[in-house]
Amino acid sequence: MFKKLNLFSKVSFVWIGLMFFFAIAGKLLPIADPTEYFDVTGAGLFTAGHILGTDSNGYDLLANVVVGARNSLSIAVISVGLGSLIGGILGIAAGYVRGKTDYVLSVVFNIFLSIPNLILSLVLIAVLASSSDPTVPVPDSRRLVVIIASLTIVIFPILGRITRGSTLAWTNSEFVIAAKSMGMKDSQIIKRHIIPNVLPSIYAVAFLGVGIVIVVEGALSLLGIGVGDGISWGSMLARAQGDLEFAPASLLVPLTFLALTVIACNQVGDALRQRLDSRESKL
Amino acid sequence: MHKLNQIFQALTKLLLVLVGATFLLSLIVRLLPGSPADFYTNAFNEEDRLLQIKALGLDRNAFSSYAHWIFDLVRGDFGPFFMSGGSTRPTSLIIAQSIPRSLLIMLYVQIVSLTIAIPLGLLTAYRADKAVDRIISTGLFAGSAIPGFALALSLGYFFGVRLQLLPTIGYVPIAEGLGEHFKHLILPVASLSIPLCASYARILRAEIISTLRQDYVTMAVSKGISNSRVLIKHVLRPSSTSLITTASLNMGALIGGTVIIDQIFALGGLGQQITFAIFARQYIALQSYIALIAIAFILFTVLADLLIGVVDPRTRNRNV
Repeated sequence: MFKKLNLFSKVSFVWIGLMFFFAIAGKLLPIADPTEYFDVTGAGLFTAGHILGTDSNGYDLLANVVVGARNSLSIAVISVGLGSLIGGILGIAAGYVRGKTDYVLSVVFNIFLSIPNLILSLVLIAVLASSSDPTVPVPDSRRLVVIIASLTIVIFPILGRITRGSTLAWTNSEFVIAAKSMGMKDSQIIKRHIIPNVLPSIYAVAFLGVGIVIVVEGALSLLGIGVGDGISWGSMLARAQGDLEFAPASLLVPLTFLALTVIACNQVGDALRQRLDSRESKL
Repeated sequence: MHKLNQIFQALTKLLLVLVGATFLLSLIVRLLPGSPADFYTNAFNEEDRLLQIKALGLDRNAFSSYAHWIFDLVRGDFGPFFMSGGSTRPTSLIIAQSIPRSLLIMLYVQIVSLTIAIPLGLLTAYRADKAVDRIISTGLFAGSAIPGFALALSLGYFFGVRLQLLPTIGYVPIAEGLGEHFKHLILPVASLSIPLCASYARILRAEIISTLRQDYVTMAVSKGISNSRVLIKHVLRPSSTSLITTASLNMGALIGGTVIIDQIFALGGLGQQITFAIFARQYIALQSYIALIAIAFILFTVLADLLIGVVDPRTRNRNV
């Protein structure tokens, strides 16, 4: 399968693989301690000992980008996973049962989709992650849970709508009608025929979803309500915004990682979808 | 009759979505810790405080408050913007200030994106799968996927901080000098246009490629009409329907969906007002902003349908 992909898709796969490797094995790599202050501050790229430079506090940027990969990707993967689960179940329900269920669920998806995703997550986080007593800061763990929850809410209607469309198409296919007329139970039809056929399109959109979530997470950090200080790509950006003149690498390095990952996720999602389209057109 | 019925059904669904979205937001915002009553009252005794709360309309429950808001909205009143001490000013004043900025930026972004996207789409489709197309298409893909704020921050760094060529903050109205006006908008418009332009060009390319397979194109070419004339006169027009739909859907999104670009460049458009409204518990104003975006969205969708009918008369009598 890998051989059939074009060069751009291959590079994207490799890049995503590398980011996951960073995320999983980051602590084992021979790189600097992300929380250690070094004497060189604001160093540029390819400085001895700090390949990607340091920021104005003297943190090693490579080490921080690796930690950022872990946090940004876990946030994205968990929320897209949860969103696929919720969106998938609702989408299959809407597409398979149809009728009133479908109408209600479609309106629900559209309600969530009609609020721009950044605004929706902004409101949700402002509600769930701010304490009523301004002197007591919200613990980081609660912030993280809230951010994941609100990103899940942002992503589930997208996946729900796609699943619904795909389920509708498969429910009308001849083998499902045949299975129904043979008296197969609905639960069995969904398990045997619908889910295996709908899953590939969920995967494809899930990759796009990871891209969307990484972008929204970065935007939230820039607005000052992301995860804690400097531990995700987005919050590295937020921290670097202030000292652009002194340490430009501290902005450009996480920005490059974030942008490349988003582009790669889009490319992989697109490649999966195209493969799917050609499979379906052959049917 | 059939068609009218369909339009009516589609509109009911859109209205349902509009009401649902604004009501959902109003409920969520009500859950914010620290009610607006704590923010915007300054009376020392309880009696005065209650009076101020009443004056702000904050004594109403969620449903009654929502009902008041929606009746006001139907009459063209965007509701109160809370001020300290129980006074309010109309939200429409803030909208009147921020909407022209958002609309102008949207207009510039659409003009820039379309002027660049149409030739690129034509070129890549005409040269489909040749080297030129491969290179440009890869670039377009990357461009369409790159997050707007990544562009905004890096452009801001290179042109604002490094080269000191362009201002990176603030908005200057046309009345205070056209040159300054454009100078302040180059970076925000560029950061919004690049991803948009790339996705427009990709959409156009795909559709032109499928139009080029039509018999009437072969016919036109075999009659000896020059390639460029066929492309522009025979191919571009019927290929532009998806582009028109996408572009008009983007109008609604661009009016308020540019929260982050608005914030980075401090443009004071609707996007920035939305962020303020959330943090300052201005939930009536927030509802109005979101409703405004949704209404714009609906209007531009209808407009796109009409425009497609003009551009491609074949679609006029089609029962979709």
